[in-house]
Parts: sequence; structure tokens; C-alpha cells
Amino acid sequence: MKQLRKTTLRKTAYREITSTLGRFLAIFGIVALGVGFFSGVRITNPAMIRTISAFYKEHAFFDLRLLSSLGWEQEQVDAIAGREEVLFAEGSSSFDVICKDPDDKDIVLKTHMLTTNINTVLLSEGRLPEQDNEILLDNESRSGYQIGDQVKLSDANDEDTLGHFSHDSYTVVGFTSSPLYINFERGGTSLGNGTVDGFAYLTADGYADDYYTEIYVKFKENPELYSDAYNDLLDARRPEWEELTEALAGDRYEKLLADANEELGDAKEELADKKAEGEEKLADAEKELADGKAELDDAKKELSDGQKEIRDNETKLRDGKKELSDAEKELADGKETLDFSKRQLTDAERQINDYDKQLKASKKTLDETDGKLKAAKKKLDENAPKLEQAKKQLIQAEQTLAESAKGIEAGELELAQKEKELQAAEAMGLLDDTSLAAAKAQLEGARAQLAAGRMQYEAGLAQYQKSILEYSKGQTEYEQGLSEYNSGVAQYRQGLARYQEGVAALEKAKADYTAGLAAWTRGYQEYLDGEQEYEDGRETIRDAEKKLADGKKELADGQVEYEDGLKEYEDGLEEYKDSKQEFDEKIAEAEEKIRDAEDEIGDIKEPDTYVLDRGSNIAYSCFESDSKIVSQVARVFPLFFILVAALVCMTTMTRMVEEQRSLIGTLKALGYSERDIMWKFSFYSVTAALLGCIIGYAVGIFLFPAVIWYAYQMMYISIPLDYYFDQVLAGLSLAAALLCSVGSTYLSCRLELLESAASLLRPKAPKPGKRIFLEYVPFIWNRMKFLHKVSFRNIFRYKRRFFMMIVGISGCTALLLTGFGMKDSIVGFSSAQYDAIQVADAEVAFKNGTRDKIPPSLETVLSEKTKAYTLLGSASRDLVTQRHVKNINLLTPAQENFTEFFRLHDCNDETRAFSLPSPGNALLCEAIAKRYQIGVGDKIILRDEDMNEVSLKVSGIFENHVYNYVIANPEDFQLDLTLAYVSFDKNEDPALQQTYIAKNKNVTYVTLFEEFENRMNNMMKSLDLVVLVIILSAAGLAFIVLYNLTNINITERIREIATIKVLGFYPNETAQYVFRENIALTVIGMLVGLGLGIWLHRFVMAQIIVDMVHFKVTIHGISFVYSIILTMLFTLTVNLFMNRKLDRIDMAQSLKSVE
Amino acid sequence: MSYISFRDVKKIYTTGEVSIAALNGVTFDVEKGEFVVIVGASGAGKTTLLNILGGMDTATSGEILVDGLMISSYKKKQLTTYRRTDVGFVFQFYNLVQNLTALENVELAAQICKNPLPAAGVLTDVGLADRMKNFPSQLSGGEQQRVAIARALAKNPKLLLCDEPTGALDYQTGKAVLALLQDTCRKQGKTVIVITHNSALTAMADRVIRVKNGQIKEQYLNPEPADISTIEW
Repeated sequence: MKQLRKTTLRKTAYREITSTLGRFLAIFGIVALGVGFFSGVRITNPAMIRTISAFYKEHAFFDLRLLSSLGWEQEQVDAIAGREEVLFAEGSSSFDVICKDPDDKDIVLKTHMLTTNINTVLLSEGRLPEQDNEILLDNESRSGYQIGDQVKLSDANDEDTLGHFSHDSYTVVGFTSSPLYINFERGGTSLGNGTVDGFAYLTADGYADDYYTEIYVKFKENPELYSDAYNDLLDARRPEWEELTEALAGDRYEKLLADANEELGDAKEELADKKAEGEEKLADAEKELADGKAELDDAKKELSDGQKEIRDNETKLRDGKKELSDAEKELADGKETLDFSKRQLTDAERQINDYDKQLKASKKTLDETDGKLKAAKKKLDENAPKLEQAKKQLIQAEQTLAESAKGIEAGELELAQKEKELQAAEAMGLLDDTSLAAAKAQLEGARAQLAAGRMQYEAGLAQYQKSILEYSKGQTEYEQGLSEYNSGVAQYRQGLARYQEGVAALEKAKADYTAGLAAWTRGYQEYLDGEQEYEDGRETIRDAEKKLADGKKELADGQVEYEDGLKEYEDGLEEYKDSKQEFDEKIAEAEEKIRDAEDEIGDIKEPDTYVLDRGSNIAYSCFESDSKIVSQVARVFPLFFILVAALVCMTTMTRMVEEQRSLIGTLKALGYSERDIMWKFSFYSVTAALLGCIIGYAVGIFLFPAVIWYAYQMMYISIPLDYYFDQVLAGLSLAAALLCSVGSTYLSCRLELLESAASLLRPKAPKPGKRIFLEYVPFIWNRMKFLHKVSFRNIFRYKRRFFMMIVGISGCTALLLTGFGMKDSIVGFSSAQYDAIQVADAEVAFKNGTRDKIPPSLETVLSEKTKAYTLLGSASRDLVTQRHVKNINLLTPAQENFTEFFRLHDCNDETRAFSLPSPGNALLCEAIAKRYQIGVGDKIILRDEDMNEVSLKVSGIFENHVYNYVIANPEDFQLDLTLAYVSFDKNEDPALQQTYIAKNKNVTYVTLFEEFENRMNNMMKSLDLVVLVIILSAAGLAFIVLYNLTNINITERIREIATIKVLGFYPNETAQYVFRENIALTVIGMLVGLGLGIWLHRFVMAQIIVDMVHFKVTIHGISFVYSIILTMLFTLTVNLFMNRKLDRIDMAQSLKSVE
Repeated sequence: MSYISFRDVKKIYTTGEVSIAALNGVTFDVEKGEFVVIVGASGAGKTTLLNILGGMDTATSGEILVDGLMISSYKKKQLTTYRRTDVGFVFQFYNLVQNLTALENVELAAQICKNPLPAAGVLTDVGLADRMKNFPSQLSGGEQQRVAIARALAKNPKLLLCDEPTGALDYQTGKAVLALLQDTCRKQGKTVIVITHNSALTAMADRVIRVKNGQIKEQYLNPEPADISTIEW
């Protein structure tokens, strides 16, 4: 029974859906829209964050970035990598550098050292760099490079910068995306025009440094990106890591200091060594010079000695020559004597030969007479002893003669000896003249003695010869006696004796001759010797002459040599002096260097360390704030949609329950329980809501993230979105949908079900008419057509519907207005900036300016090519507040006409213009003022890179939308002029002027603000799409609400409408009668909506914080018009649609009873 | 030529393949100034008859003449104009606009015709002079029906069509309303057509038309129409 009952009930429930499909679809639609919008917008932010989170995780995006002003070494990196909580730690370096792009323009690249585990790149094209001269470039801003191109470092870099790089040109090997740069923001730099044009990666060897500038740390934990868990983790670790970083940096400091000191010590030692060595060398040189000098002096003395000697020798030579001529003469004398002796000897020889012949003839005669003699001989023999005795006496004399000849000979020999000795002594110069003379005299004496001896000898000889003759005479006398004694024998004996005598005489003559010859030979020998001696003496003289000449020559040579030597010495001395000076200078220099090094070491400060988290990455922070826009929108808008969905469900179900009042009564009367009845209606609403929820959720979680992600990809890295199904959100959506449907069903049914079946079966008493307040103003009321009166009465009669309508319509209008307003604000900020504030046509950045002058060539170009210009200094500074440090652009206008190019007026009052700040004061842009709650009169602190702080008083807050400017007096900062704002003549083509000005060598860049404006607008196009989503959603909401309400309105009043149709109202009159209310409600709702929209727009805009951009919270008049027109259009469309329904109302309905 | 003339009027509703003839060749005449009662059981076709006569519906075939005008050939717009100027309706459930006062309800009708009667006057005529500013919910059923009659009369129509005017009223009030209608007919010479299932009312009619199964079962003139007060049911 129960089963059956339920089947029937189910049938009615099913049929209910098919028969009132419009209403069903209304609930379905509003729930789908509500849930779709709610879940879609809600899920977009997490989906975006998950996507980026996954990307970050995949590419091991760092958790901490450790910086030390002294850099890092592998040692510290290893120390960190070894920690338990650390997954990876890697050292890396990054330097900004100015490069030449392919068009030879200067661009600034931020170079990073390629890391292997952390912040891994996503290669888009090409390959990773492998060689130290290869480079990987930014895929998003390629600056016109192709793979294979050379990226040349510009000459505009200072030496410090270039010193970090191991090459001055790198080959492009690929293009990449980087987790460090997930958006198009590349950050600022102190180089070039202050903007980084792109990033680049080099290998570790691509840098010339031996240290890292930073250490990237990745923890093992991986909490959700931007989540509290993540922030808490980082917060918890921060103190420890700050300590650790400081300690590690301290280690490096100590090491660096020790190394430097060691190096300094080494250098000092080396210097000392070199100094000692140098000094030694100098001393050696000095000694050598002194030696040289001494030598020279010696040489000089020697020279003078030589000269003296030569003079002496000349004298000696002269003496020698004289002596020699004496000897010559002596020799000639000797020769004469010898020749005489020779002649004598030759005579003697002839005599001997003659005598020999005589003797031979005598011998023959003798022999012939021998016989005769022999007899006679006996007689003679008696005389013989006498002769023998005489003969003995002769021999004795001869002996004496020989002895004396021998004595002469010895004396001559001795004399010769002595002469020789004397000559030798003379030659050697051993004897002085006196002794020499004495010796010579002695020698002469000896010679005279000798000559006397000889003469004696000669006399002796002659005596001897006389004796012989005497002897011969005796012999003859003997023979005569013999002859007398014996005629023949005596004769013979005489002859024989004569012969014998002759032979003996011959023998004697022969001996004499031989002796004479020997003596002559000796004398001749002596002469020859003398001659030889003379020749020798001559030779000696010649030699001496030659020697003297040689000596003279030698002396001349020696003089030349000496002079050369002197010159050499002088040169050496000069050289020595130079070397000494050089040495002194070098030593001084080296000492200076060492002092510098000491100073430098003294200057090595305790390193400043920084522990930076991901918040320091621009893109990371930007993404958080940008994705927050969506989540802020997600916070406000979907609630609104859910609210409207609930209201729609409510009214629809209420209407449905009212319509089916009698059915409820009947069912009740038939005995169905209240629960069953409730189920029937709940089934209807829950089915619609569930379907709506499922479809809405399914479409919402894909459509919204897809559209919004698409939009964000214009600004962010192109990676596919990670869609995800959030169970909690799904559950929440489902709960909301069910709550809407079941809740509204319950509320609608509850009252009806309380009534009894009987009363339910009776028609419900129509809602009584009521007078409205307008009726008490007869002036107006009486003038109104009563049809209008009806409308007005109706409007106020159905309060819930009125409320619904107002909520729906106003919501729609508010959403539209917010959407358009967002667009206005987002698109409008750049035109507000560049059309009303920065009204200059272009910005010219230049270099080589001083505090009050710009390069003359630039001045010429500017005055020629622009209508007017103003000069200013600009710099990047950190604005320090109690809790934050914010980078701002500092401008110090140098000329009063600055305000003609940059209109400064109060952010709250456009008519209040500011003049340039006086020293000590500053004008602050509104974005900064609002974000950090800085007011007029507050102090602000501006800090530069070297931590120098300048404190200024805020004298005004000016309207500004692009960049965060602080304008101050040049006095306070003394910046060089680096910027000019220029305006061009209207007739000139700005692009042409731009090109012309850019050609000046001092100009770093020229930016047309018009281009800037366009670029800004392009950047914001992503938000455009978000706005479009909002507008479309608002349209959908408006349509459904209007449709639903009008539908209810018509069905509720179907009898009334039928009646007036019966009464003869034309269709348009009927439509007017019905829709006048709609239109009136639309107008009221719209008015409310406009107010609401202004508020909502402000609220939403306040949530959207984009760095560098301060949106102008503005809604253009046309946006109001659009919102109104669109709302009206939706209303009219719905009315048009519903008009057909009106037409179809059967007049016969009027005849039916009230249900 | 009668004031109102139905000639072989047929109304066939076709639902899918099933055709139901609500009116199956109805022919009758009504003269001007007559008080006509069309009587019949539920489903006999009397409401269809009323719809067609009142210009709310068109006949499938046949001719309908009202005051010499062939309304059976009228287009939608002409029918609206016809309803607007020539016909005054009195509904069983009054069909007053709840949001309008009695006077305004009358004016609602009066405003759209060429020569309406003054609303206040008509209301006074129907005896509601002192209830003019009351909303329908503040009036009794009879009073509401009188407002409805006043609304119909104010248009100064050629004929007054009343669909079960007493159906939602109690006996006495019903009688009073009927009296008002009869009075109107007599005094103002309006042609009044009352549709009812109550045969008792035939006694007060000048002409009685009895409908059954989509056809005229009988029609006759009542030589001596009784005064409503004399009729009992």
C-alpha cells in the first residue's frame, strides 16, 4: 500500500516537472549559475595557485635565498646542503649587465648562474649552455636574438661589472622560462634605464669570480604555496637560519680576512726579499763600479808607468845602440886581426907544403946516401946525445909555449865570458852606468892583459923558433962535424938530420899551424860569436825597438781602452743611479700597495647577511596578489549569487506551493503524511537544485578557471592550468544548493501544511488590496491614471516579490556597474596617468649629466627637437616604514616647469595643485600613501643601496597611477640629471622625434608615454576578460531573476490578466498593465543597484592591489549608461519573452474559480 | 433581423485525433432588450456558447450576428474591440481586481470605452454609493458582484453577459443580484443574457434557451416573466 502510494506520488512529482518545465529550469538555471559562479570563481584561485605550485615544485623553486655582502664559497654551500631539513642547497651568482642587442642597442640582462637542482629552467628552444661562453636567454623577451647569435657585453658597463664575466661575448644556445620569472616582470636594476629587459643563464665558468653571490635553499617540506602552513614553516625557521647565515658568513669573513692577511704577509715578505735582493744587487753594482774605478785608476797608473818605461827603454835603446856600434867597431878590429892571422896561417901552410916537398926530396937523397951514411952514422952517434939534449931543451920550450898558449886561450875565454855577462847585465838593465863602465873597464883591462899575454906568447914563439934555428945550426955544426967526421955519413946524417929536422920542423910547423889555425879558428869563432853577439845585440835592439813601438801602441791602445773603460764606468754609474732610483720608486710603490692592501683589509667589513624568502621574488609576490584579485572577487560575488539563487528558489517554491494549495489539501485529505507532501515538493526543488548544482559545478570549475587563466597567461608563464575537483567546495556547493532548495521548500510548505485539509481545499482569500502612501498625496495620486495606480499598488502589495525583484535587479545592475567600473578603472588608470598627469609626450633618459648640466650635444638636440622639456634627477630608493620596505622611484625636478610635464595635484582634490617641494619636504604618490597609511605631515625615510637614509616630511599626496613616485627637492639628494620629460610640437611625428633624439650618444632610451600607455593597457587586458566574465555572469543572473519573477508575477495574476483581457484590453494594454510593474521595479532596482554598484566597485577595487599601479577608482558615465541599458534590455527581453506567455493566457481562465 | 442571431454555430475542440463538438450546430435569436436565460447542465456547452458570444472565443463554423455585426468573422483585434465596447461581463467569481477600490474597478472598465457611464453614478445605481472607496476584500460577495455588475454597466455595453452570477452567492444575495440584473434590463433596456444551470431562473426570463449536449434543446419566449422576488428555488 505504501509502495503504491509512493509510486503515485512520484508520478505526480515527475509530471510536475514536465508540466512546469519553465519554473523547473528557472530553479535549475539559477542554482547552476550560482553554483557555477561560486565554485568557478572560488576554485580559480586555488587552481591557479596549484598550477603554479606544481610548477614551482617541479622546478624546485627555492625556499630561501641567502645573501652575504662578501659572497659565498662552496664550503658554506656544503655546510647548508648537509643540514637535515635541506633538500638542496646550491650556490649561484647573479649580475646585471648591459648587453648589445642585435640592433646594437643597449639592453640590460639579469644573468644567473645555471643551477642544477634548484630553480631549474623550463627550456623552450635550443639546449642548456655547456661551455663557459654559452648563454641561455629569456624566452619571453628575446630582444631579437636568435640561437647562434652573440650576446656582446656593452662597453657601457663599468669594469667591476665586466670583471664578473669570463668572456665579453656569449653564444646564444637556447631560450627558456624560469621559475624565478613566472610573470613578465623582470625587475629593476641600477644599470641602463633601470629596467631589466630579460634574464639570462650562464654556466658557472661563464663567471670569472671564484665565489657565489647567493645560496638557494630548498627545504624537504613542501607545504601549499602561499599557505599559512608554508608561511608558518618559514617563520619558524627564520631565526635559526638568520643565525646560521650570519655564522657562515662570519666564517667566510674570517677566512677571507686570514687569507688576505696571509697574502699580505707573503707580499710583505716578498717585498722584503725583493728589497734585500735589490739592495744586494745594487751594492754589488756599486762594488763593481768601485772596482771598475780602482781598475781604471790602476790602468791609468799603469799607463803612466808604461809611458815612463817607454821613455826609459828609449834611453836604454839609445845606449844599446851605441854599445852595439862600439861592438861593431871592435868586431871589425877583431876581423882585421883574424884576417892577418889567417894570412899568416896561409903563408905558414904554403911554407909547410914547400918544406914538405923539400923534405921529400931530401929524404930521397938521404935514402940514397943512407947506405953511405950508415957507416958514417956510427960516428955520428957519438954526437947524437948532445943533439938529443938540445932537442930535449926544444921540446921543453915547446911545452912551455903550449902552456902559455893554453893560458891565453883560457884568458880569452874568460874575457868572452865576462863580456857576455856584461852584455846580459846591460840588457837586463841591472847595472847602472857606473858599474857598467867599471865592468867595461875591467873587461878592457882583461882584454889588454890578454893581448899582452898573446904578444908574450908570440915573442916566446919567435924565441922558440929562433931556438930551433939555433938548434938546426948546432945540428949543422954537428953534421959538419959529422961530415967532417965522415964524408958521406956525415953528409947523410946531415941530410937525414936536416930531413928529420925538416920533418920535425914540418911537424912542428904543422903543429904550429894547427895550433895557429885552432887559435884562429878560436879567434874566428870568437869573432863569429862576437858578430853573433852583435847580431844578437842588434836583434835585441830591434826587438827592443819593436817592443817599444809595440809598447807605445799598447799604451795608445791602453789609453783608448782606458777611456772606453772610463766611459763605460760613467755609463755604469749612471745606470746604477737610475736603477737605484727605479728600485727606490718600485719599493715605495710596493710599500704603498701593501699599505693600500692593509687599508683594504681593514675595510673588509663584517658581512651583512640577508635571508630572503620567496617573497623577494617579484613574480611570486605578484602572482599572489594578482591571484588574490580573483579570490577577492570570489569572496564577494558568489555569495551574492547564492543569495539570489536562494531567493529565486524561495519565491518559486512558495508560488508553487500556493498554486498547489488545493492539491496539498486533497492529498492531506486523502491521508498523505506531511512528510510525503513535503517530499513531493522537495523532490521538485531538490532535483532542480541538484541538477543545477552538478551542471553548474562541472561547468563552473572548468569554465571560470580556463577563462581567467587564459587572461592571466597574458602576464604569466604559459603553462597548462591544473584543473582540480575540490571535494570540499563541491560539498559546500551541494550543501548550499540543497539548503536553498529544501530550505525554501520547507519554508514554503510549512505554513500551508499547518492548515487543515478543509481550509486548504477552500480557495485562499485573495490578498487584500491596500492603500499606499502615495494615495495620501492626492496631488500626485489624483493625477495618476488609475492603471498606474494599480501598478503601484501591486508593487507594494507583494513585498517578497518586491524585495526579490529589487535584490535581483539591483544585484544585476551593481554587478554590471562593478564590471564596467573595473574595466574603467583598470583601463582608465593609464589614460588618467598619461592624459592628465604625466602630460609630457616622452621621457628621455640620458647619461653624463651632472647636478645642474647636461651634455651640450644633448641640450642642442633637445632644444631643436622638442617644443619644451624639463630636466630632473631620478633614482631608486627604498621607502622604509616601520613594517615594510618598499622600493620607490625618486624624482628630483631641477626646473620649475616640471609641473607642466607632470601635473601634481592633491589626490582628493584635483583643483589643488602642488608646487615643487622645498628642501626637507617630499610629495608622495597616493598608492604608497594609501598602502602604508602615510599622511601629510608624516616623516618618511628614503634609503639608498648603501643604506644612507634621508628623512623627509610629506608635504602632499598627489594623484598618480603608474609607478610609485616620491618627488623631492634636489637639495636633499644631489642626484645627477638623468631624465628629461619632453613635449613635441603637435605637427611633428613623435616617433620620428624619438628616433632622432635616441641617436644622441648620451641618450640611453626615449620612451613615448603614448606607447607606455598602450603597453599598460595591453598588460591589463587580462583583467578585461575577468571583467567580461563578471558582466556575462551579471547578465545571466539578471535574466534568470527577471524571468523567474515575471513568470511568477504572471502565473500569480493569471485570472486578473484574463479578466482584463475579457474586459477588452488590447494586448499591448495588457502587457503594459502587467509589465509596468516590472519596469517600475526594474527602475527602482536599478537605482538601488547603481548605489550598490558604486560601493561594490570601490570594495572590489580596494582588494585589487597591483604593484606599480594605482587604479583610478572611477566609473565612467557611459558605464552607468551601459549598466542601465543592459539591465533594461534584460528586463525588456524577459518581458518580450513573457509577452508571448501573456498572449497565450486563455480568457476562459477568468471564468474558473479561484484556486 | 434579430438583435443577436446564432446560425448553425459549431465549436469543435480537436485534441490529437479526438474531436469533441462543444457546440454542434446552435441556432437561436435574441431580441434587443430581452432578459435571456441560457440554461443547461454542466458540460452542455453553455460556457462555450457564452465564450463565443462574448468574443472570448471564436466559433469553428456558423454565423453570429450581434446588432447587425458579423462577429463570427471577426479577427482577434476586432473581437477585443467588440468586448471592449459592446459586451459587459459579470463573472461567477466577480473577478474584481483586488488591488483596486470598488470605484476604481468600475473605472478600469470605463476608461477603455468610448462613451462610458460615470462610474460613481453606476455604483450609486447598484446601491454601493457608500462603499465606493472600499477594496474588494472589504466587501461582501453580493457587494462584490454588484461592483462587477457596475463595472459591466459602466461600459454602457450593448449586451450584458452574466456567467452564473449567483453561483458564489448565497440565496438571498443571489436573488438581489438577479433583481438588479432584471432591473437593469427593464429600466435601461439592456439586453441581458444570464447563463446558469439553475432552471428555476427561467421563470424570470423573457426568453429561455435550453442547451444540452452542444445543441439547443428548446427555446421559447416567456409570455409572463415573473418578478425575481416571486421565484423560489
